[in-house]
Amino acid sequence: MGTLDIGGSQMDTSWFLLLGAILFTLGTVGVLVRRNPLIILISIELMLNAVNLTLVAFSRQLQNMEGQLFALMTMTVAAAEAVVGLAILVDIFRARDLEDIDDLSELKG
Amino acid sequence: MNTQALALTILLLPLAGGGLLAGRGWRMPRVVTQIVGPGVVWAAFAVTLYLFFTQSSGDFTYWTWIKSGSFELPFNLLVDNLSLFMCLVITGVGALIVTYSVGYMAHEDGPSYARFFTYMDVFIFSMLLLVLAGNFVFLIIGWALVGLSSYFLIGFWYQRRSAVLAARKAFVMNVIGDVGMILGAFVLFVTYHALTYRQVFGSLGTQFCGACISPSQVRHASDSGSLELAAFLLLVGAVAKSAQLPLHTWLPDAMEGPTPVSALIHAATMVTAGVYLVGRMHPIYDVAVYAHDAVAIIGAVTALFAATIAIVQTDIKRVLAYSTMSQIGYMFLAVGIGAYSAGFFHLLSHAFFKALLFMAAGNVIHAMHDEQDMRKYGGLWRQLRPTSIMFLIGCLSLVGVIPFVGFFSKEQILGAAFSRPGNLGLAVWGVGAVTALITGFYTGRMWWMSFAGKPSAERPVAHPHEAPPVMLIPVGILAVLATVGGLLQTHVLGFGTSAVSDYLDKVVTPQSWEGGAIDVVIGLTTMVLATLLFLGAYRIYVTQSWRPWTARFPRVQRTLERKYYFDELYNAVFVRSMDKLADAGYRDVEAPVLDGGLDRTGATARRAASYASLLQTGYFRNYTLVFVAGVVIVAVLLLARFAS
Repeated sequence: MGTLDIGGSQMDTSWFLLLGAILFTLGTVGVLVRRNPLIILISIELMLNAVNLTLVAFSRQLQNMEGQLFALMTMTVAAAEAVVGLAILVDIFRARDLEDIDDLSELKG
Repeated sequence: MNTQALALTILLLPLAGGGLLAGRGWRMPRVVTQIVGPGVVWAAFAVTLYLFFTQSSGDFTYWTWIKSGSFELPFNLLVDNLSLFMCLVITGVGALIVTYSVGYMAHEDGPSYARFFTYMDVFIFSMLLLVLAGNFVFLIIGWALVGLSSYFLIGFWYQRRSAVLAARKAFVMNVIGDVGMILGAFVLFVTYHALTYRQVFGSLGTQFCGACISPSQVRHASDSGSLELAAFLLLVGAVAKSAQLPLHTWLPDAMEGPTPVSALIHAATMVTAGVYLVGRMHPIYDVAVYAHDAVAIIGAVTALFAATIAIVQTDIKRVLAYSTMSQIGYMFLAVGIGAYSAGFFHLLSHAFFKALLFMAAGNVIHAMHDEQDMRKYGGLWRQLRPTSIMFLIGCLSLVGVIPFVGFFSKEQILGAAFSRPGNLGLAVWGVGAVTALITGFYTGRMWWMSFAGKPSAERPVAHPHEAPPVMLIPVGILAVLATVGGLLQTHVLGFGTSAVSDYLDKVVTPQSWEGGAIDVVIGLTTMVLATLLFLGAYRIYVTQSWRPWTARFPRVQRTLERKYYFDELYNAVFVRSMDKLADAGYRDVEAPVLDGGLDRTGATARRAASYASLLQTGYFRNYTLVFVAGVVIVAVLLLARFAS
């Protein structure tokens, strides 16, 4: 495996990848098990940032800026997604008293 | 202007008029309809007259319509003496009748008024296309288009159920004929690989002298079998269009249409298209002798058959309709025995006097507020003097009294039949002569019942008004023509001109035998007897001093009144069996197989969907779980692939 340079000291890339994987898994589990819509949105942000971390780590290791550009791109998209998601949530909260995302099951077959 | 462009102009004028009235007619002032409707027909008549007097002829190709491999079908018009003769009848008599309609249809509201003249102009266009077409395809197109216009005009008063039914009946009957025509054209195409008259008749050994088809030099065609077949199939078309036995039942019902329509389409022009067809196809019929004899036999039988029915009809237009069938039977008889020009002269004279009779009857119906039952007329002579005189001229012409045109044309046909060598001529002459006597009787009955005697107690109008000039003048012109038209062809009496025969014999086969003085004697005898029967009807139906024959033969009367039960027969054999077939088809095929099959397909899909919809829990977490599981599976598979 490769290493990357942090302020002069070399560090194994695997640690960053491991952290990214842990954060991603936490986010996924959060989306799956939590019922509060806001927490679910936050978990999605967590997953996105885990991916960002991975991208930046590889970018650093390979000395290639494309990864960081992608991370910026992801943040932009995440911001947009948060705007849309929160707007929908606000609208739902206005319409009804929502505590649990399971209450939104009108499309049940 | 050259002939080629003028020939197309004849066609395009009525089409343009019809198109204008169809598009804008109902929004424009009524006077536009009144000018454009008849105007384009008069213009077409003027162009036809120009071509007639300049002796124009030719086979003009305008463009290639179909080109497929070695086969080529042009749009070509054949201008010769026969087609110009027909065009003169169509546009001349047609213009008078369309002008007459300006007055007759005056009670219609704006849109209907424009619609009527649209149909009339389209009909004139279709009929001109039929007679001018230079190949079988456009002949059939014209043939079908006149059927369509006839359908529109019979069903003109579409709120009336009987009119709609009559229109449908006429259309179906005519389509039977169209199928015959198309099959006939196929047979000719298979045999000669061509569809233009020039090529087909050329293959038959007919000289095609540059422009016109000259009298054919008949040779024994080796393929006379297929020619007979083609001739019989074309005859089916002719029989249906001309309301001959056994495809005649639509014509009396077609009287549901407005009276000018009956005059134009169902008396003067369209129903004579069958005669034109046999005349135009004379190179085929000259070779196909059996089909040719069949034409004469059908004509003779129909002439007698229709005349007998006309004796007992009480609706004035129906009497005229049966009389039309009978007179067209004479024309078929004439062209069937090879006396083509005699048949066409009768076509001309019939166009004069039958259009006259219909339009004069239209004046009467107009004055009687749409009452058509002759038993409710009576005594109209005093009140409708001009119409009565013109109707009488028409009647005398129909009976065939000297010097009216009907005498010359009918006697020419009967003379030709009598003097023709062979038994067939004598047989059809006998039938024709008997028919002439019956014609005298039923015409007398119609005339005396309507115009003589005292007014009927049931008459709807006590003091009827004569028709306006726009209706009287066209009738008057036809009355003059019906009176003096015979001067065109007096040689049946052994002297004078034979202008019509001379003109037509340039294109159709001339009559190959000569009549003698005996013809004149027999002709005059027939005329005297028919006239006596005409007068005798007075004693039966007005003074009632003679006992009516119907009292003696009630069963015969009944059979005639039911028109020999043809409608009942066709209903039982075709209509009802079709109904049964359709019912069975619905009950046994459509309901269980088609409807049932579709229903079952739908039910199966619905059941499958109800199971599939169980997957749709509506819970966000379920969907996410499936999504994540999918991602994991894909990731594992990719890893497994790259790891190995």
